[in-house]
Amino acid sequence: MRAVDGISFDVDRGEIVGVVGESGSGKTMTALSLLRLVPEPGKITGRILYGENDVLEMTDDEIREFRGNEVAMIFQDPMTSMNPVLRVGFQIEEAMAAHRRFTGQQARDRVVPMLQRVRIPAAKERIKDFPHQFSGGMRQRAMIAMGVSNEPSLLIADEPTTALDVTVQASIIELLRDISRELRAAVILITHNMALVASLCNRVIVMYAGRIVEQGPTRAIFKNPQHPYTWSLLRSMPRMDEVGKERLVSIRGVPPDLGKLPTGCKFHPRCRFKVDRCLTEEPPLAEVDPEQLARCWVLMKNVPNPEMQS
Amino acid sequence: MSRGTLVYAAQRLVLITVTAVVVSSIVFIGIHQLPGNALASERRNNPATEAALLHHYNLDLPWPQQYVLWVQGLAHGDMGESLVNMGVQITPLLLREARVSVTLGLAAVLITIGVGLTLGTIAAIRQNTWVDYVASTSAVVGYSVPSFVWAFLLILLTVSGFYAWTGGLVYENIGWGKIEQIPVPALALGLPYAAIVARLTRASMLEVIRQDYVRTAWAKGLKARVVILRHSLRNALIPVISILGPLVTGIITGSVVIEYIFGIPGLGQEFVSSILSRDYNIVIGVFTFYAVLIGLANLAVDLIYPVLDPRIRY
Amino acid sequence: MAAVPSTVEASQEFLISELPEQSSLGQDAWRRLKRNRLAVVGLVIIAIFFVTALISIVWTPYPTWRQALGTTYAGPSLLHPLGLDDYGRDILSRVMGGAAIALGVGVGASFLASLTGIILGMLAGFFKGKVDALISLTINIFYGVPDLLVALILVVLIGRGLFNIILAIALTGWLGMARLVRGQTLSIREREYVEAARTIGTPNLMILSRHILPNALGPIIVQATYLVPAAIIFEAFLSLLGLGIPPPSPSWGRMASEGYKALQIAPHIVLAPCAALSLTVLAFNWLGDGLRDAIDPRMRR
Repeated sequence: MRAVDGISFDVDRGEIVGVVGESGSGKTMTALSLLRLVPEPGKITGRILYGENDVLEMTDDEIREFRGNEVAMIFQDPMTSMNPVLRVGFQIEEAMAAHRRFTGQQARDRVVPMLQRVRIPAAKERIKDFPHQFSGGMRQRAMIAMGVSNEPSLLIADEPTTALDVTVQASIIELLRDISRELRAAVILITHNMALVASLCNRVIVMYAGRIVEQGPTRAIFKNPQHPYTWSLLRSMPRMDEVGKERLVSIRGVPPDLGKLPTGCKFHPRCRFKVDRCLTEEPPLAEVDPEQLARCWVLMKNVPNPEMQS
Repeated sequence: MSRGTLVYAAQRLVLITVTAVVVSSIVFIGIHQLPGNALASERRNNPATEAALLHHYNLDLPWPQQYVLWVQGLAHGDMGESLVNMGVQITPLLLREARVSVTLGLAAVLITIGVGLTLGTIAAIRQNTWVDYVASTSAVVGYSVPSFVWAFLLILLTVSGFYAWTGGLVYENIGWGKIEQIPVPALALGLPYAAIVARLTRASMLEVIRQDYVRTAWAKGLKARVVILRHSLRNALIPVISILGPLVTGIITGSVVIEYIFGIPGLGQEFVSSILSRDYNIVIGVFTFYAVLIGLANLAVDLIYPVLDPRIRY
Repeated sequence: MAAVPSTVEASQEFLISELPEQSSLGQDAWRRLKRNRLAVVGLVIIAIFFVTALISIVWTPYPTWRQALGTTYAGPSLLHPLGLDDYGRDILSRVMGGAAIALGVGVGASFLASLTGIILGMLAGFFKGKVDALISLTINIFYGVPDLLVALILVVLIGRGLFNIILAIALTGWLGMARLVRGQTLSIREREYVEAARTIGTPNLMILSRHILPNALGPIIVQATYLVPAAIIFEAFLSLLGLGIPPPSPSWGRMASEGYKALQIAPHIVLAPCAALSLTVLAFNWLGDGLRDAIDPRMRR
């Protein structure tokens, strides 16, 4: 089955792009295939272009130099993403030592400043700690330090706060934003949390069934979502500023089985606004506004009074 | 080594001593119920000689008193005198033989771990390829073939085989004393256990290489060798360590047979010959030695745990 | 290693063919076992050895003790497919006779060790407290002792007859079984149906035999299967060291030991019993692995 199909987007330096969608929509697979880390028995066919380079064509040494150096990734669960038997400082040092950017001595010297940069108190003492001696939030900070230690051009954060206590989520997000600004790195934030996207991202990419169904500037997407799926996602989320104005709606049905995708538009079985054409022909990702693209035959702007439909 | 570890090790050493005393006492008492010993044959010749001999070994005393004397001796490291070879002190004899047995055992453990870890790791990272099938199948065959059968096969290979194939240039002498005589018996002793280690390592590695932190290691751009050795095998070793205790016991058991076959002058060989000649003083001595060796080996295994896994503290 | 049918497939089959009649856990495990190629091969090999062992009691090509003087060390021939040994005895006949001893000792010792282990393990796990402390202490002390040495002393103590050998091996082999059953009992006794049985006043013996034993049976069968090859190897060790069943009984271990002095000139004397021994042990290990996977599919990787 096909988890991801025909994804393409740009991220500029210093920009944070949010990739949103339900679980199983292929967000994580997209990120992993860029690093050629799709778990067995997954296969990647076709091309994965990063700039001009095809990731699939790289030699083992090239992809190794690419991982963690050009593109770094921060994973969802900091509790399981660090090796439990190696010291935290060493795990960060080894990320730098693996690449040519820093010498061994530089790598060693940079560990403490990196931990200070992600605001870990008493960093000098804590580099000797093992992961189990760190709290969840501290571990994610250490993972971020590890990720940015080589000053990568692109940083992918895959649900970086999902596994954390609500109380530390905000500080991690703040840290991510500050770090990306300081480093002028491009950041891809994978999440299903629309509120997080609204507060952090410059642009949004909405994925459904392994495809991009809508993308554009955050402000435009939130104000004028054009794909019914995006629209429903936003309506399913309570908003502090509009209490009482609109009622929440849920998205009918369940996410599609990637082995048995429907014909036509992949969203049509769950869509309130579908027309006959949606059942047979998949719409292209087309420009609806100068910067906004959507994959829909109908588009929300053509639906009069959407709240009334059921 | 932390303070807690030292306290733990000290407690374990006390426990080993207690076990050794308890075990040797059981053997002591059990053996004194036996009719006859190495001296019994003297009876026919001369009752007076026998009486003198019995007195020499304290065997004319009631056994509880003998036991007390024996434990007192043991406390000073004196295990008494051989019944068969009068005047031969058992403690220095067994210490000398223990050096031989420990050398053989350590060589076998090295082979076990080296072969086992290598095969298990290769099978795991090549899961479901022919390499895996060959390694996994040979593992079951490996531990189904007992050590003495490996011994015969290896003797045929190295003694007759090498001699025939090289026209007499290379040949192996069975025995003990030269360094080149160590590998063959050690291999025979270690192979069945290497197979068990390989199986466990494979299962453990398969579990570890799917862990998130291994994905992190790949994502950092580490070399494959580093990801497999430092980030996977090291973690996979933790459950494998748990069988090192039974493994050491098994290797000691196996060494009794292997020393017998290869004529290696170790504790096992001594045990078999002394039990056949009813030299019970030596039998008890060897037993005590083995109990201590097994205890120390298990202690060593327990001390490896916290080194491999920082989450374990004593 | 073996053909591993997917669980999905297995459950579909279950739905189609087995719904009309109740399918017990045992039948389910049996069906999974039949799918495991190596386990089936193991079972066939064991069956062949069993039949050979039974035949050898009433008939062997030559009497196992008859010596053909002058033709000692002869290699395989038409009349003697596996050749003759150092006394001129027919090796095929002796290997057949050895099968009876190996399987007798293996199954006998496994049965006796299992019985001891099950009883002591259930007592320790069910009554806990002082009973458990005593049994567990015994187990822990004996774990620190090389079992072969204990068996050797026992054999010297009680003599070298077939039953004594079985006894000596069983007396060192029950430790693992007792540990396993104790653990199983400790966990099963806390389950609701045991609670329920206890509240309605079911006698302890009934709880042990009706509730605890049947629920611990799977792992017990697997462990008992693994005990058979262990006991067979053990008997071979004893015989090899000259403390097994006394001559002229054709034990594989002693055949190997006797042939060893002529290993260079007549390797077939050693290789024939060694091959029979290794094959039997391998077959039991395959069966044991298959049983383990069939009884507890979760343990399969």
